[in-house]
Amino acid sequence: MSVDNNKAMENRLARPDVRQKVTGAAKFAADMFPKNVVYAKFIRFPFGKGKVETADVEAARKVKGVISVDVNMQADAKYAGHSIGRVVAETRDAIDDAVEALGLKFRFTDPRSRAEDVYQGVPEASPEDLDKLKNIFDQTPVVVEATYTTQVQTHTSLEPHGSMVDHRGEELEAWTSTQAVMGCQEGFENASGLSASKITVHAEYVGGGFGSKFSIGAEGGLATEISKQQGRPCRVVLDRREEHSDGGNRPGSIQYMKIGADKSGKIIGGRVHLMSSVGFGRGRGGVKNPNYYDFGTIVKTEADESLNAGLPAAFRAPGYPQGAFAYESMIDELAAGLRMDPVEVRLKNETSDRRRKQLKMGAELIGWDGRVADGASPGRIKTGYGCGVASWGNGKGKCQADIDVYRNGDLEVRIGIQDIGTGASAVVIDVVAYHLGIDRNRIKGRLGNSNYPPGPGSGGSVTSRLSAPALMDAAESAMKAVRKIVAKEMKVADDEVEYSAGHFNKKGSTQKVAWKDACALLPTEKVTVSGEFNDEFVGNGVSDCAQFAQVEVDTETGIVHVRKVVAVHACGKPVNRLTAENQICGGVIQGISFALFEQRILDRRTGGHVNHDMLYYKIAGSKDVPEIIPVLDVEEGDNGVKSLGEPATIPTSAAIANAVANATGARVRHLPITPARVLAALDSAKGGVA
Amino acid sequence: MRIEDDAAVAEDEGIGLRTSRRGFLKGMGLAAGAAALLPAVGNAQEDAHETPGLKELGRGEREITLKINGESRKLKVEPRTTLLEALRVKLDLTGAKEICDRGACGGCTVLVGGKSLASCLLLAMDAQGEDVVTVEGIAKDPRYSNLIDAFCEHDGAQCGYCIPGIVVRSAEFLAATPNPSPDEMRAGLAGNICRCGTYSKIFESMAACSAKGGIK
Repeated sequence: MSVDNNKAMENRLARPDVRQKVTGAAKFAADMFPKNVVYAKFIRFPFGKGKVETADVEAARKVKGVISVDVNMQADAKYAGHSIGRVVAETRDAIDDAVEALGLKFRFTDPRSRAEDVYQGVPEASPEDLDKLKNIFDQTPVVVEATYTTQVQTHTSLEPHGSMVDHRGEELEAWTSTQAVMGCQEGFENASGLSASKITVHAEYVGGGFGSKFSIGAEGGLATEISKQQGRPCRVVLDRREEHSDGGNRPGSIQYMKIGADKSGKIIGGRVHLMSSVGFGRGRGGVKNPNYYDFGTIVKTEADESLNAGLPAAFRAPGYPQGAFAYESMIDELAAGLRMDPVEVRLKNETSDRRRKQLKMGAELIGWDGRVADGASPGRIKTGYGCGVASWGNGKGKCQADIDVYRNGDLEVRIGIQDIGTGASAVVIDVVAYHLGIDRNRIKGRLGNSNYPPGPGSGGSVTSRLSAPALMDAAESAMKAVRKIVAKEMKVADDEVEYSAGHFNKKGSTQKVAWKDACALLPTEKVTVSGEFNDEFVGNGVSDCAQFAQVEVDTETGIVHVRKVVAVHACGKPVNRLTAENQICGGVIQGISFALFEQRILDRRTGGHVNHDMLYYKIAGSKDVPEIIPVLDVEEGDNGVKSLGEPATIPTSAAIANAVANATGARVRHLPITPARVLAALDSAKGGVA
Repeated sequence: MRIEDDAAVAEDEGIGLRTSRRGFLKGMGLAAGAAALLPAVGNAQEDAHETPGLKELGRGEREITLKINGESRKLKVEPRTTLLEALRVKLDLTGAKEICDRGACGGCTVLVGGKSLASCLLLAMDAQGEDVVTVEGIAKDPRYSNLIDAFCEHDGAQCGYCIPGIVVRSAEFLAATPNPSPDEMRAGLAGNICRCGTYSKIFESMAACSAKGGIK
C-alpha cells in the first residue's frame, strides 16, 4: 500500500466524542470532584509589583474547614497574579473564608505596566546598514514608514488550567487539562519522584489550550504535593481571574517599518524593528516575519521589554498574527501609495505559486471586483475589502500507535495524543478506517491517556500530521498480521495475498475474504500491533492559505462589522471535512476577536489586571461572527495529512485591518481596532492615519 | 482603593481577593431571597442573627431539596452555594460548566422554570421549588433528540466546554423560535461564549435541528 491510498480520505462524519460533549457526559479535568477531595488554591498578589504588608495567618488557619494556610511575607511579587501563598481546605468556600480572614494588605511600588512606556525606540543602524538602506530608498519612489502595535491577548481557554491529582503513595493518577498528556506524565514524575510507569495522566477531554497548556504548571505541582501530604485526591483548578492573569498570553508588540517599493510594486527592502512586551521575565516575545513575501533587503532588529505582567505562552501560531497584521498592513499602505490593487502588489511579491492561486481564488469568492478605492464607498456605512496570506511548515517528528485487532473484526487504537478540540479523535479512527478500507464504526479510538504509546503534544499544528503516519503504519501492521493468517489458510506465502478495500484476495484469483471474516480466523481473541511515524506516509509540501475579509464600518460610531470571510486553506488530504472546516472557522473567529476586541488592560498606576473576567475582556461572540466560507484547497498530487490549526488564525486580523482601511480611507495601525480608534483615524486628515 | 504615594499601602477592596463572587451573592441572597429562604431554614446556625425585615442565615450547611431533571434531590448546601456549584460538586451533574463564574459566558446555563439562566448567578437555596433542567436532562428527554442529533452530526463542538450551555440555551431558543434566521440565531446565542469559535457549525447545527422538525 502506498500513500496514494489516502486519496480515498475525506468524509463529513461526526467526530466520535461529540455526543459525550453535547450531552454533558464528557468529564473534563475540572469536572472531577471525588468524594474525599481536598481543595488547594494559590493566593495571588493583586498589583504589578510589591510585597505583602500584613496577613493574619493565624486567623485564617482557624477558619472552619481550613487545613493549612501559608503566606510568603518575603515574596517579591512581580505581577498581578503572582503567587504569594496558598490555602488548603475541605471546601472552596473555606478557601474563600480563609483568604478573607487573612485581611491581606499590600505594599506596591511603580510597576512597568504599558508597552508604550517601556519602548526604547528604533536603535540606530550600523554605518554599513545605513549605506544599505540609503541604496534601497534611493531606488524606491514609494516608501511606507509606520509603527504598528498589537495588544496582549490572553488565551482564555474555557476550561482553566488545573489538575485533580490522586497520589496514592506508590502510584499517582491525575486528571489534567493539558494539550500534552505525555509531557504531563513527565511533569508529574518530577513533581512526585515516582517513575513514569507508576503515573497515569488522563486528558480524555480538554477544554481548549491554544498553546498555554503544555505542562502541569504550578497548579499540578501543588495538587501533587497536597495529595501526597493529605493522602487524598487534591483539586487545584484556576479561577477565571487567575486564568487571565497567570494562564499565559500572546505578548504585545510595537513594530516599526520603513519599507520601499519600486514603481512596479516590487518591494525592494527597508528597516524593521520589532519590540515585544513580555511578562516579568525575559524573552518569548518573538514576533514572526516569515518570508511569505519577498521583502528584498531588510535591516532588522528585535527587542523584548519586560513588564510587570504574567508570562507569555505559546498562543496559536505564536508571533505570527502580530507580524502579519503589521506587514500585511504595510503592503496595503504601499499599494495605496502606488495606486495599485493590493492583490496585484501581493502577487508581485509572493514567493509561492500555491498562494498566488489562493489569492486569486479568494478574491473571486469574496467579490473583490466590488472593491472601490480607499474611502470611496458611499454613505455612512462603508464597505471595504482586505486580505492576507500565511503558510505553515510540515516537519517530521515522533509518534507511536498501537492497534488491537479483535476476532470479530473490530479494532481498538491507542495513541498518546490528545484532542483539545481539533478533531484529533476523528483523525485517529478515520485514518485507520481509510487505510484499511473498513467502516469507522468498527474502530474505537483511545487517546488522552499517558499509558498509551507516546505521541506529540498538540503544538505547532503537529497532532494530525505526526499521528496520521503512525496510524497508517499501525494499520498497515494490522493488515499484515491478519494477512499472515489468511495466507496460512490459503496455504500461500504472505506476499501472495493482496489487500484492498477491506478484502484479502489471493493474487491472480477472484477468491476474496472480507476483513471481518479474515479476523475470525485469528487464533487468539485479539492481536496487538504497533506503528510509528513513518516517512512512507508523510505528505508533501506546506500548508498555504489566503484569507479575505469584507467589512462594514459605521463612520459615525466607528463600529466595525465583519460581514464575510473567505478562508482558502491547503492541508494535504483533509481527513474529515467537518472538523477541518470547523477548525478553519474557529481560527478566523479568533482572528476577528484579536482584530476588534481582545485586550488585556493593566492599571497603569497599580499594575492590577483591570479586565480579568469575561465581561470586560471582550471575546468575539455569536453576533460578531460573519458568514465564513472555508475552502479546502486540495490539488492533484496533494497527499498525506498536513497542518491546519495555526495558519487559520494568522492572516485574519490583517485582512480585517486592511478592509477597514479600504472602507474608510483611514488606517488604524493599532489592534484592537476599536470604535474610538476608527473615529480617531477618520478625524485626522482625510485618508490619514491613527 | 486608596493610593497614597509611590510606595503606597493599598488595601485590596472592590477588585481584590476579599470580595469573591460568592461573597457578593451571599449579600444578594440576604437582600433578595430572604423571604423565599425562610421556610427552608429549620436549624438556624449559631452565627445567624435577625435584622429588621431580614434574616441572616450565616454559614454552615443546611439540607434543601431541589427538583432536578424531574427528580427530587436532597442535598446539603451553604446559603452562599450557587446552583452551579450544587449541581457540579454535590450532585455530580457536571454538564453545566464553571467558566467565568460571573454570568458572562453562558457556560453554566440551565433551565429554571423553563427559562435559560446562568446557574452561577442563582443561589441553590433560591432554586427550591423550581423545575431545574440541566443538559443531562435535555439529553435524556426525547423532545430534544433532534437538537442533540443535529449538534452531533454537524460538528457543533470543538473542545466542547461551552457546548452544554449552548445546547441548553438552544433548547429554549428553538422551542420559542422554531425556524430562526441567521441573525436571530446570532442574537439568540449572544449570552454564550465559545472560545474555539465553533459558531459557524453551531448555527448549522441549529438550522439542522429546525429542518429535522425542531424541538418536539
